[in-house]
Amino acid sequence: MSPLVEGFGSLLDPTVLLCIAAGAVLGMLVGAFPGITATMAVALASGFTLSLDPLPGLAVLLTIYVSANFGDRVPAILVNTPGTPASIATTFDGYALAKQGRAGLALTASAFASAIGTFAGLLLLMFAAIPLSRLALQFGPAEMFALVAFGLTMMVGISGGQIVKGLMAGALGLLLGAVGRDPITGDPRFTFGVLELSDGIPFIAAIIGLFGIAEVFDQILTHRTGSGPAPITQFGRWFPRRSDWRVMVKPLLVGSGVGGVVGVVPATGGDIAGILAWDQARRVSKHPEKFGKGSLEGITAADTASNATLGGSTTTSLALGIPGDSVMAVMIGSMIVWGIQPGPSLFTNNPELVYSIAGIMIVATLLALGLSLLRMRSVAKLLDLPRHFLWTVILIFCMVGTYAVNNSVFDVGVMLAFGLVGLFLRRFSVPAGPVVLGLLLGKLAESNLRRALEIGGPSNILTSPLAMAILTVSLLALLLPPLRAAWRRRRTAGAAAPTR
Amino acid sequence: MRPTTLRTAGGVLALAALVTAAGCADRGAVSEDAADYPSKDITLVVPYQAGGASDLAARTLAEQLEQELGTSIIVENRTGGAGSVGLQHLASAPADGYTIGYLPVETVMLGFQGYEVDPADYDLIGQMVSVPATVAVPADSPYETLGDLVEAAEKEPGKITVSNSGAGSIWEATTAALGEATGTEFKPVPFDGGAPAVTAAIGGEVDAVIAGISETAPAHADGQLRVLAVFDEQPSESLPGVPTAAEEGVDVVMGGWGGIGAPAGLPDGVKQALEEAFEVAASSEEFTAIITDSGSIPVNVPADEFASFVQSETQRFEGLLSDRG
Repeated sequence: MSPLVEGFGSLLDPTVLLCIAAGAVLGMLVGAFPGITATMAVALASGFTLSLDPLPGLAVLLTIYVSANFGDRVPAILVNTPGTPASIATTFDGYALAKQGRAGLALTASAFASAIGTFAGLLLLMFAAIPLSRLALQFGPAEMFALVAFGLTMMVGISGGQIVKGLMAGALGLLLGAVGRDPITGDPRFTFGVLELSDGIPFIAAIIGLFGIAEVFDQILTHRTGSGPAPITQFGRWFPRRSDWRVMVKPLLVGSGVGGVVGVVPATGGDIAGILAWDQARRVSKHPEKFGKGSLEGITAADTASNATLGGSTTTSLALGIPGDSVMAVMIGSMIVWGIQPGPSLFTNNPELVYSIAGIMIVATLLALGLSLLRMRSVAKLLDLPRHFLWTVILIFCMVGTYAVNNSVFDVGVMLAFGLVGLFLRRFSVPAGPVVLGLLLGKLAESNLRRALEIGGPSNILTSPLAMAILTVSLLALLLPPLRAAWRRRRTAGAAAPTR
Repeated sequence: MRPTTLRTAGGVLALAALVTAAGCADRGAVSEDAADYPSKDITLVVPYQAGGASDLAARTLAEQLEQELGTSIIVENRTGGAGSVGLQHLASAPADGYTIGYLPVETVMLGFQGYEVDPADYDLIGQMVSVPATVAVPADSPYETLGDLVEAAEKEPGKITVSNSGAGSIWEATTAALGEATGTEFKPVPFDGGAPAVTAAIGGEVDAVIAGISETAPAHADGQLRVLAVFDEQPSESLPGVPTAAEEGVDVVMGGWGGIGAPAGLPDGVKQALEEAFEVAASSEEFTAIITDSGSIPVNVPADEFASFVQSETQRFEGLLSDRG
């Protein structure tokens, strides 16, 4: 019997199916709860699943992993609060769509994009795992630095046209990213003697503050004057039309590609992939000006990519035994205890298990998609609440979720402080996206550059073809758009001249 | 607004309240007779994130301790400050036996790295897990033995790169200790966690990696890495044929470890009850099986022996870390 049939067939066990169902409900809930990430949920669940057999145990953990990446889109779209970092880029267009009375379309398009992204990633896992895992090993510190530098060039793209303000915001993010112990020497920097800051600014608390809390603060301050946005009561139509699908094709492809690659690279996940794909889709779009203002293409690209990383991370984790992201790090721990040793030999000795894992993730995706489409209307109904109740609900959820990350009141303080920062940025129309990007990538860029230099000096980067290629692309990404614009201006000026 | 909306909203609020309540469960300090101990839930503080090796050891032991003590044990992950946030939290908890904690090797290291952590702040209950350090090279590396690696470092001191899980980690300290013992110098390259450090060696980015046995043994078995030596007193069953560092002429025994402690000043009766329960729990088949499967080594070191071990470790790291600032 072929391993594919055997692997998928072993899922027909009712226990496994039950575990998938339980994982799906749990994953959707934790995903939608701001602050509580898939990593945390999987880590806590792994304490219970160790007593199960490997397959049902994996079913619970993998399904939480998959469905949390559906649930987290809901608060991102409806209340501008990313449920987990993977949905940061969802807020860019999702919330804008919701404010335009198109929340229904945003929610379903996001769910479809997430499902298609997951499938695209799983295709990589099932049919290209071994060659892709070799690509993952190519990513040493020098190549990681180049990739992260490419990510940093997107500050321009996510500035929403306010380039100077965007770069200022990006610089603030980079500065905030420098807080904490030095990655190489371990010396404290900008910690002001605060112990909690020695690991850096808590990222989840910061993004919840910058997006969700800032939005709530803004609404509280403006609702009396009536200058704020109208409450979201209109959801518009729910299902994408044929014309919508046509618009979504390109971002679906961009998102799958970007997400697959970013997923394969060790230790990078959906948060980075979502932002990266959003910006790439903007570059190839016919309507780049709509991005950030409610673009269906934007939300599609972001959600496809952040979910396509699941397959990529799973590939790296299973084929190399190297965690593709933080959730997989926990899952590898459980697998080892079950006596499953991820690594190259898993694919030769135990291929049916790889197919079982892919199969679990496929069933989980279908289930999560179904749950999303079925339950979304009732979840969205929460927005019918009078707004002062809604604010309270959001604040309580954000505080509880943020506290739960580290059991730390300090983190809650950071979240509220970043809420104020976000409010300030909003009032001066400074985009918040670059701050998050700086905070997310600054530390990665620094530590990998320093590591690369420690290992082999500047020549370590200069002699790596992959690193140099990525750095060249980054440079082009920065230089091409202004050059092209200048050229276009000149051409139109030249064409206009004779008529004058 | 329709009634269904209100019901949904009510449900959501109730859920939030429930989560909040669970987070704040039972903090009241009740002074009582040691004979009644334990009469309520015990909190076990883990200074690292859920899902890691420390967390696994702590949670697995907690399950067995629950049976011995006949009460619930709530594992609480308090992370941050390289573990010092959780350790300080434990040190400042009331010494009544209702807050205990997982003490990692960092307990004796952090004090010399600018954190306010002092092993004297804890009453030690017992040590249950040990993770010897290993040194490994890429599968296609020219170095076949630890001797080869040391020889290379002697030729070019400070040029042989050795990855580790992070600045200030026990594995970085082992790299320094290896250099000190052989009278040469290696170049430590700190990564952000053990897995990326091992990956760097598999990918040939660095000349070698020093990491715990649980992290290198799987890659060794798979042929991605070659473990040259174990920094332990005896060879490991999970690395057949791999010598100890001492057998290779390098007298370094070093590694991570984990035990259970409580805030200093436990009442005698409480301490004894905890020690007795610990001894049974740490030698239980359930505990030893899971720890062995995870690649670490289960041990069962009683309180007094653990205390003198912690003392000698503290002295060792004072010498090793203090001159490095």
